Amino acid sequence: MDRTLKTRLEARLADHLLGSVYQRHDETEIRIEPGSVPEVLRILHDAVDLRFEILADLAGVDTGEVIQVVYHLWSPMTSDWLRIIADGLSRDDPRAPSATFLWPGAEWLEREAYDMFGIVFEGNRDLRRIFMPPDYTSFPLRKDFLLPDDAARSPGAGVRHVERGHGPAGLADDPAAGIRRAPAS
Amino acid sequence: MLDRQIGADLFEPIPPYPPRTEREGEFYTLGDGEMFLNVGPHHPATHGVLRLVLKLSGEQVVDVDPVLGYLHRGVEKICENSDYYHVIDQVDPLEYISSLFQEWAAVLSFEKLMDVEVPRRAEYIRVLSGELLRIASHTLYIGFLALDLGGLTPILYGFIERDEIVEMLAALTGARMLFNYFRIGGVNGDLNHEFMSRLGDWMSRAAKQTEASAGLLNENEIFVRRTRGVGVLDRAAALSFGVTGGNLRATGVPFDVRRAHPYSVYPELDFNIPTRTEGDSLARYLIRVDEVRESIKIIDQCLHNIPDGPVMAKLPRLLRPRPGRSWGACEGPRGMMGVYSISDGSDQPFRFRIHDPSFVNLETVPALLPGNLLADTMAIVASLDPVMGGIDK
Repeated sequence: MDRTLKTRLEARLADHLLGSVYQRHDETEIRIEPGSVPEVLRILHDAVDLRFEILADLAGVDTGEVIQVVYHLWSPMTSDWLRIIADGLSRDDPRAPSATFLWPGAEWLEREAYDMFGIVFEGNRDLRRIFMPPDYTSFPLRKDFLLPDDAARSPGAGVRHVERGHGPAGLADDPAAGIRRAPAS
Repeated sequence: MLDRQIGADLFEPIPPYPPRTEREGEFYTLGDGEMFLNVGPHHPATHGVLRLVLKLSGEQVVDVDPVLGYLHRGVEKICENSDYYHVIDQVDPLEYISSLFQEWAAVLSFEKLMDVEVPRRAEYIRVLSGELLRIASHTLYIGFLALDLGGLTPILYGFIERDEIVEMLAALTGARMLFNYFRIGGVNGDLNHEFMSRLGDWMSRAAKQTEASAGLLNENEIFVRRTRGVGVLDRAAALSFGVTGGNLRATGVPFDVRRAHPYSVYPELDFNIPTRTEGDSLARYLIRVDEVRESIKIIDQCLHNIPDGPVMAKLPRLLRPRPGRSWGACEGPRGMMGVYSISDGSDQPFRFRIHDPSFVNLETVPALLPGNLLADTMAIVASLDPVMGGIDK
């Protein structure tokens, strides 16, 4: 655990932090507003005493109430991994600024987060589905997307899942027509 | 007539829907004298089910759009619906060539989540089996790279080495590819006699064999001329793409999780991080050759230093870690394997995020291919060493 990293982060990012810097094992965690992502990433990348130059990971998280975007960064200046949680995206319309202005490689990671959670990254030039078919309409890693009951321990055990159908585009817009339910057995 | 219609349906690379993004619209608009060529998903030269839509001008690649998802199984979702013990065998088939590393990232993350102390003997066994598998993976890489350039021989030698290692690991773990060997708090079984005797046999000739295989390609004029200066990734681009592993070290950045962010017993071991500055296909290949040599060194040290003791920590049958978050990362043959897991206090991970290095490495393809000849596309892709199981998750 790098104690000095905490003071450096607090000094550089005082205006942007939500809550205090959290440290456990070899991880340092900060929480920020989604709106301040570009500024915070820019500071972390450029500041001479931080230099977080490798974007180790970008992931979406659905907590059930809100959507988060989680960044993991690595810097040669510290022995800690830095985790940045952009907290509090609404589940109905999750939007966050893209990190591609700094790391073009975030493009596919953001496409994946869009594909799995429906997070719209503003500024990503190529935000389309990456794993699921282009006419797919659900976001599979969201917590309200339940697995079919063959996964016996899934929270949706016994309930056929509520994935929307693969029909033509017009059909998917109509919730009644789009939802495909297995016949009761 | 009928044949032509069927052909047109099957091989038409232009999507049957309007472009969803600006980039897609730009890519699927043909300029003067340009054409599309669809490569894959079923093509002997693509590594797994990779599909590349190439935009060609004559024989030169103008642009490329990789299409992923043909092997998507939703492993993250499956892991979030299975308990902590089951996650380890769910992540195995991701990087099926080197599956111990994906297990390693998962157990590193879980051990941090649960504050488990791993016995030192187990750590040594992890390093020992991991480095063996790294060698197996690199020899396959070298063989397949040569195969994509038209050289048939190296893959045969590569498979001899790999088969020996895989059989050795089968004696240790019980499986040849999908090991399911690492456990939260240790490993599944102690070293046994068959493993040790096979390992001893192999170690007595490993260094010599490595040099012989390397000589086969290092001094091959065709191989060198088709890889030197091809697919150059510079340092700044590699960092901005988030590339890790040998592909990053080939551009001059000495980033290796084993040293940059030590885990397990790597701080106690003496080995180098080979780097090169050229950043081309040849440099990526040479990095792998050097890493094989370093791995042999590490195995040798493990065999000398391995302590006695238990190989598993004492853990309850049902794991319910306290709510929290943890990130575990280890250095796989292709780069940094990462796992971000969130516990909500139940016996299943609330969120299980897998970061696969091949995914990010493959992302550089649209930057590397333009300007190269069609014949070099697969050589460049092969030099990045993608494994589609990990990319598609």
